[in-house]
Amino acid sequence: MLDKKSRWNLIVFAVIVLLLIGSIVFFWMRANVEVRSIVEDQYQNQQLILTQYISSSLEELLNERVLLLEVMARNEQGVPEDLFVSDFETIYKAAEIYHVLEFINANGTVVSGYPSENVPYGYNLHENNNEWAFEEVRRTGEVYISEPRMTMEGIYGSFVWVPVFEDGEFRGTIFGIVSDENIIRQFDATSNSSNSVYLLNSEGEIIYDQSGTYEKGTDYFDYISGYEVERLDIVQAQISGQEGNGKYPDTGSDQGQDILISYSPVSWYNKNWSLGLTSPGSAVDRLIVSVYVKLFTVAGLSVLFILFLGSQVYFILLNWNRSLEDEVEKKTHELKQSNESLIAANLKLKELDRLKTEFLSMVSHELKTPLTAMKTSSEFLLEEKCDQDTRKQMLSLINRNVDRQARMVDDLLDISRIESNRMNFEMENINLGEALDHSLENISKPARDKDIDIKVNMPVPAPKVYADKDKLIQVFVNLLSNAVKFTPVGGEISVSAKELARKIEVSVSDNGIGIDPDNLEHIFDKFYQIDSTSTRKVGGCGLGLAISKGIVEGMGGSIRVESETDKGSTFIFTLQKADHDQNNNDLNNRE
Amino acid sequence: MDTENIDPKILALMEENPGISTAEIASSLDLDESIVQQRIDFLSDTREKLLIVDEELDALTALRVALESEGYNVVVALDGFEGLEKAKTEKPDAILLDIMMPGMDGFEVCKRLKSDPSTRHIPVIMLTAKGETDDKVEGLELGADDYVTKPFNLKELKARIRTVLRRTSF
Repeated sequence: MLDKKSRWNLIVFAVIVLLLIGSIVFFWMRANVEVRSIVEDQYQNQQLILTQYISSSLEELLNERVLLLEVMARNEQGVPEDLFVSDFETIYKAAEIYHVLEFINANGTVVSGYPSENVPYGYNLHENNNEWAFEEVRRTGEVYISEPRMTMEGIYGSFVWVPVFEDGEFRGTIFGIVSDENIIRQFDATSNSSNSVYLLNSEGEIIYDQSGTYEKGTDYFDYISGYEVERLDIVQAQISGQEGNGKYPDTGSDQGQDILISYSPVSWYNKNWSLGLTSPGSAVDRLIVSVYVKLFTVAGLSVLFILFLGSQVYFILLNWNRSLEDEVEKKTHELKQSNESLIAANLKLKELDRLKTEFLSMVSHELKTPLTAMKTSSEFLLEEKCDQDTRKQMLSLINRNVDRQARMVDDLLDISRIESNRMNFEMENINLGEALDHSLENISKPARDKDIDIKVNMPVPAPKVYADKDKLIQVFVNLLSNAVKFTPVGGEISVSAKELARKIEVSVSDNGIGIDPDNLEHIFDKFYQIDSTSTRKVGGCGLGLAISKGIVEGMGGSIRVESETDKGSTFIFTLQKADHDQNNNDLNNRE
Repeated sequence: MDTENIDPKILALMEENPGISTAEIASSLDLDESIVQQRIDFLSDTREKLLIVDEELDALTALRVALESEGYNVVVALDGFEGLEKAKTEKPDAILLDIMMPGMDGFEVCKRLKSDPSTRHIPVIMLTAKGETDDKVEGLELGADDYVTKPFNLKELKARIRTVLRRTSF
């Protein structure tokens, strides 16, 4: 079904579609790289903001809590009576990050604290060689916070030393332990499952790691191998108190994933820590994937839509093409048919023309023939002297031919009227028997001369027919005279009539020479004469039967002949039955 | 009747004996006297003989009467076949030939006459109602010596017959 043209169309269409898809893929791949980096950047920026938020909240929290101690320490009234215990209680409950709050007097002895179960009353720093920080704050007069480490109480945390001065005199320090658990509690609220938070001190030691991978107190650098350059850079940046984003390849994963880190400094009095927020590269991937999924869904739907539209357009065009072709074929067929009918019509016209020319030629010949005889005879009579007998012979010849010419002219006029539908029929109800009798009178002599017997077989009473009387007689005379012509001496002619359902059928038969089957179909043609020598002598121009046929048909009947060579012929024609209502000439000009 | 054989014998006898009677000739040739008489009449007829071939009896009759009164010996034929046959047997001096005839038409008869050595020399005048130039040319090309259209002027026809006979009788 797919012809060459359609196949070409399909190929072109497929190529275009492939090109479209190809360019889409190409541009996607180009865009993908950019998208990835953009998404990553955005993601990391988001992470950085989160980190900054966390670090600043942590900073704030820690600073606030220490500030409380500072405020307490700078109490104008100096060391209160209860040695700060009630204050400790208030702050402890409010701050929520202190494991214990203690007051260490100027001697370095723990004299008060809250909650009392955590306070090592009477513990002396000097005796335990723990006095460095104590002496430091006495010297500087500033708050000092130590790195987190495991305490003898079994708590991992930082020590906060706040000096107390009264009137410029060192009275001791307020001491607080901030446990990491308390800090951790703050983090938990702010992180989600894929991120994990870690805290580094300015030495690169792990203070806290949410994921649990790194032990606190250990050196982060220990976890990094020499070739992990990006990671080292990140840690360096963190230690130097910068904030920013970074990523390094995850040696642990087998997919070549990166680990993204956002870091931000946490400044807490003298402490400079760095908060790091790690997220797996896969988080970005997941994000990108989800975006791509949506993108591809849209793209896929678009492609499908385009394909659908394309195929619709293709099928419409195909249909158009097909219907055009069908249309063209139909028109060609119509043209062919029209052409054929024109050719046929032309042939018919040519034939008619030929027949007309032939007719004219025949007519002119038939008219000139008696003229020749007449002219020769009359010229002879004018010029020559001849005897009486010869003169009589010539004159009767002329007379005879004049009659013949007149008959011929009448016949020609009749046939011309019949052909052009201009024959007038004066139709009336007539007695068939009477018409027949008239005709028999006409041919009685020729019949007698040949000793031919004419029998009439008519029902009694004679039927009435609706016809033109004179023309009916003309038909009878024609048929009867033909019968007489073609029947040998002593032969027999019979005329009979029969009543049918709606017509009257009349037959004229003879037992003469009959008509050849070859001639039978032409017998009613104009100028058709069977040319056996016996007939030539009798004359006539062969229009008789043609005229009879025209008359019979013009009166609403039909005529036919049955014949057998040497046995005889029967001419049968039908006439309309006479009807009381049919007394007008409504059958005129009928052919 | 073998006229070709009988005629020379009769002539020979008459030459031998100018006064011989028909009866004597008849008995010596062992023939019927009427036949001998017929042949003598035929041989002694010195009139110029014309053969008219036309299927129209009346036209034929009129022309025959007219030409006979002119002093010609006229023989008639009603169709082409009869015409050819009579041309051979009667040996006319000229043939008047109609064209429109049933069976064999005038053109065909003329062609055959002109191709037959025994009739080739006989002049042919074609008579017909067809007066087209093409027909005239065809007739003349077939060998007709003249062509006259019907209805013709009797005087004119007689003159043409005389001309055509003069031509061939040097």
